[in-house]
Amino acid sequence: MGDFFDIFFNFQFMADHFDVVFKGFLVTLKLSVVGGAFALTWGLILAVLRQLPGKVLAPVRWIVIAYIDCLRGLPLLLVIMLLANGLATMASQGVIPREIGIPQWLGENDPFWYGVMALTLTYGAYMAEVYRAGIEAVPRGQTEAARSLGMSHGQAMRFIIVPQAVRKVIPPLLNDFIALMKDTALVSTIGLVEAVQAGRDLYSEFYNPSGWTLGAFMFLIVTIPLARFVDRLIKKQNEKFQRGLP
Amino acid sequence: MSETVEMTKEVARGETILRVHNLKKSYGKLEVLRDIDLDIKKGEVICVLGPSGSGKSTMLRCLNLLELPTGGTIDLKGETVFDGGKPKNLDDLRRETGMVFQSFNLFPNMTAKGNVSIAQIRVRGRKKDAADERSIEQLTKVGLAEKVDEYPDRLSGGQQQRVAIARALAMDPEIMLFDEVTSALDPELVKGVLDVMRELADSGMTMICVTHEIGFAREVADRVIFMDGGYIVEQGPPAEVLGNPKEERTQKFLGLVLDH
Repeated sequence: MGDFFDIFFNFQFMADHFDVVFKGFLVTLKLSVVGGAFALTWGLILAVLRQLPGKVLAPVRWIVIAYIDCLRGLPLLLVIMLLANGLATMASQGVIPREIGIPQWLGENDPFWYGVMALTLTYGAYMAEVYRAGIEAVPRGQTEAARSLGMSHGQAMRFIIVPQAVRKVIPPLLNDFIALMKDTALVSTIGLVEAVQAGRDLYSEFYNPSGWTLGAFMFLIVTIPLARFVDRLIKKQNEKFQRGLP
Repeated sequence: MSETVEMTKEVARGETILRVHNLKKSYGKLEVLRDIDLDIKKGEVICVLGPSGSGKSTMLRCLNLLELPTGGTIDLKGETVFDGGKPKNLDDLRRETGMVFQSFNLFPNMTAKGNVSIAQIRVRGRKKDAADERSIEQLTKVGLAEKVDEYPDRLSGGQQQRVAIARALAMDPEIMLFDEVTSALDPELVKGVLDVMRELADSGMTMICVTHEIGFAREVADRVIFMDGGYIVEQGPPAEVLGNPKEERTQKFLGLVLDH
C-alpha cells in the first residue's frame, strides 16, 4: 500500500514539483480560454452562414456543410499535426510570411498558436452544430413576426433568433468547452508544455508519475464545478419548460 | 423633408391602396389559392370568413409575402410589389403592412416595451428614447400602461395579443392584417382584443381580418369576404353576405357557424 501511494500519490514529490505542473496547467488554461473563445465565435459564424437564405447563397451553405462534416470527421491530433507542420513547412520555404507560418504573437510561442488554430477549426465545427440546433429550436413564428415588422433576414437573425438560440444552447456549449479543455493535452505532441507534458517531463527525469496525478487534480478542480454548473443550468431550463414557458 | 415625401405617397381615404390580381398559391400539386382578385380601399375594414383550409390565412400571408405567391400581382399604393417573380420591394411592403398572428409571436426575451421598440429602432431607425416613448404611448392605447416592463410570460394571452397589436401599430403601417387573432384566446379574453380592433377600425385604419367572430364582422366590417376552396365565393356588405347570402356554400357555412 505504501508503494502505491509512493508511486501515484507522492505528496512530497507533488509539493517539490508543484511549480512545474502548475506552470503547465496555466498554459492549459490559457489555451482553453483563448481557443474556446475563438471556437465559440467561429462556430456561431458557421451556423449563421449555414442558415443564409435563397438560391444564390446555396454554394456558401454547401461549403459550410462540407467544412463542418470534414472537421467533425477528422481526429483533432491529425489536424494539429497537419496544421503545425504544414504552416511551418510553408513558412520555411517562403510560401507564406514567417510571421504567419510560425506565429509568435503576443509573446506566446508557435505551438500555442497552432493549438489555438486547430482547436478553433475542429471545435468550431462541433459548436456550429450546437448553435444550429438552437437556431432551429426557435419557433418559426419568431422569424415571421420579425420579418413581418420589416426586418431583413440578417436583422431577424441578429436581434431576434440568435439571442434566443444562444440562450438555449449554453449548456451543450459548455459541455463542448469541457471537452476542448481536455483536448488541449494533444497540443503537447507539437511541443507545447502544458499540464500533461509537464507531468511527462517530471516522469522522464524522476521516474515518478505523481506529477500527472497532480495535473489530474488541477483538471478536476476546474472541470467538475463546470459540469455541476451545466447540470444546474439544464435543471433550471427544464423547470422553466415545465411551467409551460418557452 | 421626409414629411413631404410621405405626403406625395399618401393615398386618400376611399381610394384603392392595395390591389391584388390573379393571386395564386400552391404547395406542389396542392392549390391553396386559385384566383384571388381583391381591391382594398384606404380605411376599409374587411373581414374574411370561411371554413378551415379555405385559404384565408394563406391569402393574408401572401399579402405581406410571408408566403411567396406562385402567380398574380400585388400593387401597394400604385407600386407593384409582386408580379410573379422575385419580390421587388419586399421589406418596403412589409414595413407598410402590420401583421398580428394567432399565436402572438411576441419575442420572449424582451419586455412588452422592448417588443414594441425593437423594429422601430432597427427598421425605422428611430432613436431608442423616441421608440420607447412611442411604445409606451401605443401600449397605453391598448390598455397596457401598467405592463410596459413585463415579459411576455407574465402576461395573459389577451394582453400578449394586445402587445402584438401595439408592436405592429408602432411601425405606422398603412394596412393591418389580423390572422385569427382571437382563436387562441380564452373566451373571457376575446373581448379586450376585439375592443382594441374596433377602436382601430373607428380611427380609420385599413384592416383585413381573417376571423371566426361573426358578430365582430357584422358590426365592424365594411365588407365581408367568404372564401372556400381557394376562391372568393362571395363578398359584400356584412348585412348582405351574413344576413342574406346568395351562394349555397356561404349559407351552409353560416348555418353551421351560427347554429350553436
